[in-house]
Amino acid sequence: MWNVFSNQLIAKGGYKLILTGLVSTLEIAIAGLLIGFVFGAILAFIKVAPKYKRGIRILSRIADVYIALFRGTPIVVQLLIGYFVIAPLLGGLVNGIAVSIAVFGLNSGAYMSEMIRGGILSVDPGQLEAGRALGLTFTQAMLKIVLPQSVKNILPSLGNEFISLIKETSVVSFIAVVDLTKAYKTMADATYEYIVPYLMLALTYLILVMIVTFIMNDIERRFKKNER
Amino acid sequence: MSDEVLLSVKGLKKNFGNLAVLKGVDLDVHKGEKIVIIGASGCGKSTFLRCINCLEDPSDGAIMFEGENLADMSVDINIHRQKIGMVFQQFNLFNNYTILDNIMLVPLTVAKKNIKNRKLLSEKKIEIEEKAHSLLKRIGLDDKALCYPSVLSGGQKQRVAIVRALAMEPKVMLFDEPTSALDPEMVGEVLNLMKDLATSGMTMLIVTHEMSFARQVADRVVFMDDGKIAEEGSPENIFDNPVNAHLQSFLKKVL
Repeated sequence: MWNVFSNQLIAKGGYKLILTGLVSTLEIAIAGLLIGFVFGAILAFIKVAPKYKRGIRILSRIADVYIALFRGTPIVVQLLIGYFVIAPLLGGLVNGIAVSIAVFGLNSGAYMSEMIRGGILSVDPGQLEAGRALGLTFTQAMLKIVLPQSVKNILPSLGNEFISLIKETSVVSFIAVVDLTKAYKTMADATYEYIVPYLMLALTYLILVMIVTFIMNDIERRFKKNER
Repeated sequence: MSDEVLLSVKGLKKNFGNLAVLKGVDLDVHKGEKIVIIGASGCGKSTFLRCINCLEDPSDGAIMFEGENLADMSVDINIHRQKIGMVFQQFNLFNNYTILDNIMLVPLTVAKKNIKNRKLLSEKKIEIEEKAHSLLKRIGLDDKALCYPSVLSGGQKQRVAIVRALAMEPKVMLFDEPTSALDPEMVGEVLNLMKDLATSGMTMLIVTHEMSFARQVADRVVFMDDGKIAEEGSPENIFDNPVNAHLQSFLKKVL
């Protein structure tokens, strides 16, 4: 069993495929996380902004629709629509990886907006009030006072979101992207030997997630140390 | 105290849903005047103070300050708030900044927005930092300049909050029960700083339960009852010869 796998992995160059897959998985997860965070922060910001301006009310509606759409449909369906419906409209300029990054980014933005909103609401309202009373605009007070304080409350769920992202990217082979899962599956299909490749696949994800957990714990600890 | 009216409140009303908290308040604040607002809890005195700088949007009425009506939503309230200092019951120092940065944050933000010339801006920055240090020296906390608020006692926090407001060079200071959240032994240090400020000629509106402080500092005491000003006058008149029945029973309870 092991010999078949190691032969396929080393002699037949399977490691290259797996490296390609690993890079794609990380690329999609990390870029998705960053895009998701930016979108999530913007959405959360719109949701907590005072509603007496008409523009904000309209934006808030748009944010609701966006969140409903991305939370209400499966990610595989979003990938299929992105790759087979929207990408052709763009003239085939975007490949599967780009579509995956966009879909995972937008999808996780919808989830992260709620996490960030919760983090913002966990900061004592007196902080915003004191900033406003001194003459800061809502945006300035948010960016300089409230958001920095909400980060340490958001971090734990942000780590969770990153872990989910890494694992959820295993469906991108639906739109012909070679990620970790697709790479191992290709090796398994080539040899009809499934046990070792799939156990190795699970182990690879497990190690990735453990590394992320370790990094997130470390970041959280630093935040606790700097501020009280 | 001069005859010049700095702030003029006319027919101020505030509703929270169906609940009318302020039912038409009129008050002229003269330059350099110290007004202490007293009243039972729930009478609207904090809401009144918070309406003046629009932390609560007034439902009706006018707040005239420097020729503009702050209650008018089209007025840029942020500019005016820079000239109206506010001190809160819960201090509200920014937890993510050092004491020094707490004082400098807003003056620096304003300077960066208004001064485009790089050289002038860096001069202004130095000036702001020097001023922050001198304010901290004034309250004896310059050695804590680089600490975070969490290491300060309540009294120290409130004194920093007061000089943070002073750093904006406000024309009037609003105090919303500044000593109510303090341990008894720390009340004195905050009141002393406020007395200092009063002596220096600052215009002050103070909501407080410290009656002996009111008697000492106030030019005028305002008694609020049920969302309106029920009685106002000199401290002697209010404390020694109260007319309003509610004021009489309120003073019996607190004195």
